[in-house]
Amino acid sequence: MFKRVLVANRGEIAARVIRACRELGIETVAVYSEADRDAPWLSGATATVCLGPAKASLSYLDQDAVLQAADQTEARAIHPGYGFLSENAVFAARCAQQGIAFIGPTPASIRLMGDKLEAKRTMAAAGVPTIPGSLGALRSADEAAALAERVGYPVLLKAAAGGGGKGMRRCDDARALPRAFSEAALEAQHAFGDPRLYLEKFLEGGRHIEFQVLADTYGRAVHLGERDCSVQRHHQKLVEESPSPAIGAAERADLGARAAAAAASFGYVSAGTLEFLRDASGGLVFMEMNTRLQVEHPVTELCTGIDLVREQIGIAANRPLSMTQDGIRFSGHAIELRINAEDPDAGFAPDPGLVTAVSIPASPGGGVTVRWDGGVAAGWRVPPHYDSLVGKLIVHAADRPAAIAAAREALSALRLDGIKTTIPLHHRILDDPDFVAGTYDVSFLERKALAAVPRG
Amino acid sequence: MAKLTLEPIGTPRERALDETTYRAQRTHLEGLNAALRAKRDEVRAGWGPEYRARVEKKGKLSTWDRIERLKDAGSPVLSVGTLVNYGRVFGEERKSSPGAGVVTAFVRVEDRWVVAIANDNTVASGSWWPQTPEKIQRAQEIALRLRLPVVYLVDCSGLFLPEQAHTFPGREGAGAIFRMNALLSDAGVPQIAGVHGDCIAGGGYMPIISDVVYMTEQAYMVIAGAALVKGAKSSKITSLSIGGPDVHVHLSRCADHRVPDDDALLTSVRREVAKLPGSACAYYRYGAQAAPPRHAPEELDGLFPVDHRHAYDMREVLARLTDHSLFHEFAPATGPEMICGLARVSGLYAGFVANNLALTDHPVHGGVKRPGGILYRDGIAKVAQFSRACNDDGIPIVWLQDIAGFDIGPEAEKEGLLGYGSSLIYANSTNTVPMFTVLLRKASGAGYYAMAGLPYAPILQLATPLTRLAVMEGRTLAIGAFNSKLDDDFKIVAASEREAAEIAKGMEAVEARIARDMDPVLAASQRDVDEIVTPGELRLWVCSAIEMAYQAIGARRVKNPRIFSFHDLDRLIR
Repeated sequence: MFKRVLVANRGEIAARVIRACRELGIETVAVYSEADRDAPWLSGATATVCLGPAKASLSYLDQDAVLQAADQTEARAIHPGYGFLSENAVFAARCAQQGIAFIGPTPASIRLMGDKLEAKRTMAAAGVPTIPGSLGALRSADEAAALAERVGYPVLLKAAAGGGGKGMRRCDDARALPRAFSEAALEAQHAFGDPRLYLEKFLEGGRHIEFQVLADTYGRAVHLGERDCSVQRHHQKLVEESPSPAIGAAERADLGARAAAAAASFGYVSAGTLEFLRDASGGLVFMEMNTRLQVEHPVTELCTGIDLVREQIGIAANRPLSMTQDGIRFSGHAIELRINAEDPDAGFAPDPGLVTAVSIPASPGGGVTVRWDGGVAAGWRVPPHYDSLVGKLIVHAADRPAAIAAAREALSALRLDGIKTTIPLHHRILDDPDFVAGTYDVSFLERKALAAVPRG
Repeated sequence: MAKLTLEPIGTPRERALDETTYRAQRTHLEGLNAALRAKRDEVRAGWGPEYRARVEKKGKLSTWDRIERLKDAGSPVLSVGTLVNYGRVFGEERKSSPGAGVVTAFVRVEDRWVVAIANDNTVASGSWWPQTPEKIQRAQEIALRLRLPVVYLVDCSGLFLPEQAHTFPGREGAGAIFRMNALLSDAGVPQIAGVHGDCIAGGGYMPIISDVVYMTEQAYMVIAGAALVKGAKSSKITSLSIGGPDVHVHLSRCADHRVPDDDALLTSVRREVAKLPGSACAYYRYGAQAAPPRHAPEELDGLFPVDHRHAYDMREVLARLTDHSLFHEFAPATGPEMICGLARVSGLYAGFVANNLALTDHPVHGGVKRPGGILYRDGIAKVAQFSRACNDDGIPIVWLQDIAGFDIGPEAEKEGLLGYGSSLIYANSTNTVPMFTVLLRKASGAGYYAMAGLPYAPILQLATPLTRLAVMEGRTLAIGAFNSKLDDDFKIVAASEREAAEIAKGMEAVEARIARDMDPVLAASQRDVDEIVTPGELRLWVCSAIEMAYQAIGARRVKNPRIFSFHDLDRLIR
C-alpha cells in the first residue's frame, strides 16, 4: 500500500481521508492555506505543508503548489476530496505523469463525464435511461420541432458547448420553438463560440436520486445503492438519506446494475455517483455523473458497511474490488444532515466566526449509530473564504422512522456554539409531515418556506 | 501455371508396419520417453517441496505456476533448455541447478506466441548459475530473430555468488543479458517485465529496459541489498523500504505500476500483451486452415526401430508432421538419398529436408544400390538449391536429421563432395529465413553440419531420446583407431585369441565412450541442443515453431506462393 498520501482538501473531508489513511497505516500530508493554519484536522496528519494565501485559487486550487508539496514530502498518492481539484482532468493527468497516484478516475473519464452530451451518449449506449431528447446537436429548428413533438412539451434547448444557463431556452409549445431556437443559438455563439444546440424534455420538480458506484482497474464495477438528495435549497443539498423512500428493491437492483455496467463500459475507476431525476411520470432519467467522492457518501457507508475512502485508496493501488455485487448487503436506513455555518433565518447568510464550544452526541446504542464527520473544534475560527459546511451529522437505524427519531435526538444533542448554523432548519425539516411521509421532492424546501421562521 | 500441388504422403500405420513390430518399437521408445519425462519432472520440482512451500508461504506463486497463469487456458508450455546443468553439481555442498534456475518457454498469451523468461524462485532464490546467462540469452536471441514479444517474470537475487567467476565477467556472462535487452528494444521487440520478488543487482537490472514494468507489493529492485548499506541496521532500512514499489513506481519511476500480488501482476501482463499487434499467421495462411496430419502424430512413437542401425521410412515421419499429410516433393528423382519438399504446417508454408534411410540406386552405375542416411553429390546439390530457394521465398526450413555423414572414398573425393558440401554450408550460413533443426536419430560428423546443425544458427535445435550426436559413430571411430589390426572388411586380424579379445575390448571401450558422449541429455545439459522432445511431441513443436516464424509481420521476407522460386526450379529440373 502507499506509504504516504497527500490530502488535497480541507475541512471535514480532509479529516475523513486522514482518518481512513490512519486506519490503513498510511502516513498523510495535509496541505492548508494561510486561513487554515490552525485548523483542527491538521493535527491528525503526519506532516503539513502550507500552500499559500487564503484565496482558493492561490492555495487549494493551485496545482503547482499541490504537486510541489507532494514532491517535497515524497507523497505517493493524492486524494483530492470533493470540489477543488477533484474533477480536474489536467490535474489528474499531471499526477499520473509524475508517478503520483491520483485517487480517483482517469483523466479521460473525468473529461468524458464533464461533457454533458458525451456523458449522456455514453450512458444511453450502456442502457441507462436518459432524459428524452436529442443525443447530439440538432441540425435545424425543424429537426428540433419534430423531436419536441415526439418528446412532448415543455422542452429545453441547451447549448452543446456550454452550461451555466447560457444558450438555454425553455419552450412550452410548438409556436415558441423557432424563435427560442434562434435566440438560444445566438446566445450560445456569443458565449461559447459554438451555436449548436441540443434538446431535452423539460423536467420540473421531481426527486433527485443518485446511485453510488465503485469500480477497479480490472474492469469490475459494483453499485452500493442509492441516496435521495431531494431536500435542496438553490440546488444545494441539505439532507440526504438512503435508501430513497421512492425506490423499491427491484428498481434498485435494476438501475444499480445498469449504473455499474455503465461505469465499467468506459473504463471508469474509483468511486463515482450517477445522478438521476425522477419526474412526475415516475421514470428515473440520468442527469449527470460526478466523478469523485461525494459529500453525502456516509449514508451509503452506514447502510452497506463499506468504507468508500478505503476502497478508493485500494483501487488506486491496483487492488481488485474487495466485494462482489452479490456480497453487498443493504441494511437499515441512514440520514445525513449537512451542518453549514449559515443563518437559515437570515437568508442563509454565511456566518463564519469563532467556534466557542463543540459537543457531539455519542451513539446511543440499541441499533442506532450516530456519526459526526466534522471540521471544527472549539477555539477555531471558521474562515469566510470557503464553503460553509462545518460538519455532517449522520444517523443510522433499523428503519426510516427510527432513523428520523434518532436524527432528531442527535440534532438536539449537537452543539456548535459561537456560530449560526442550519441546525434549527434541520429540526423543522425532520418535523415536517411531507418529509416524515417520504413524499418530498426538490421543490420541498422552497414550497414549504421552511427557511422562514414565522415571526411574532 | 505457377501452382503448387501438394500430394498425399505416407500410408496408414497398419500397412506401413505390422502390429508386433509397432508395439515392440513403441514399448522401447516409451521407456526412453518415460525417462525423459522423469527428468523434466525432476527439473520442475526445483529444489523440492520445502522450497516451494517457502515461496507459497509468502503468498507468492512458484515459477512454473506463474507460467501456468500467464498462458492462455489449455495451451501448451514449450520449455527450452529444461535440462541445462542436468547432472552437474556445484561446490563442496554439491548443489544442483535444475534448469539452471530459470524457465525459458514459448507460451501462448492472448493468442500470441511469447517468449517467457522466469527465474525459478525455488532454486537459490532465482539466482544465476553457470549457463543461466547463456540460457536466458538463447531465449532472447530467439525472440530477437523472430520478433516475438518477451515476458520477463523476474524473481532473481542476482548471481549465485560461489560460482561468480563463471557467470560474471564473460562475453556471454550475466551482463550480456542486459545487452540483449537493449538489442531487443533497439529492434522494436516488445518486452514486458513483472517483478515478483527479491531482485538484487543483476536481478534489479533485469526489468528496467523492458517497455513496461509491474511490481507486486512484495517485490523490490535494488542495486545492492540493505545488507551492504552502511548504517542500514540503525536506520531500520530494508531492501523493500529502499527498493519497493513505493520507491520505484512513484519516486524513481524505474517501475510503472504496482499491483497487490502475483495473480494481479499476471493479469496485468496479459492485458499488456493484448495491446500488441495480433499474429500474422491467419494472413499468411492465404485462405487455408490449419489441419492435423491425416496420419496420427502419436504414431511417431512407434515408427523407429529398436536397433539404431536399422532403417525406417522417413516419408512416414513427414506424413505425420504435415497438414493433411500432404507434401510437394522437390526433384524426387535427383539425389534420392535426400527428401526435400514443401508442405503446410498449421496452414503455413514450410520446407522440409530429411534423410532417406532406404537403399537408393546409384545415379550412374545401374543395379548398384547405396546405403541411405548418407550424403552423395546429387543429394547435396539438391539440398543446397532447396535451401537457397526457401530462403529466397521466405519459407521456413525444417531439417530432419538421421544422417551418418558424407559419402567417403575415392568416388566421393573425385566428385568433390568437399566442394559441394561447402556450397551447402555457405547457403545455410548466409540464410536469413528461419530454420529449425530436429536431430531425429543419427546426427554425425559433417552430415550434422550440412543439415543445419547448431553451428549454422538454426532458430531452434531439438533432439529426441533416440538422438546420437557425435563426430562419428562409435564403431567408425573404433575402426579408425584400430585400423592397423583390421582387414579389408574391418574384421579383426590377430595373432592369438587373447590378442583378438583385447582388440575387441579396446574397440568396445572406444564405442562406449562415444556412446556416452552421444547421449542427448549430455548435449541438452551443455546447451548443444535446445530441448529433447519425444517423437510424439514433434508435430506440436514443428507447428509452434512455424507459427512463431510467421507471427511478426514485417520481420522478414515472405513471398506469396505465386512467385515462389520453386516454380522456376520445377521447370528446370524435369
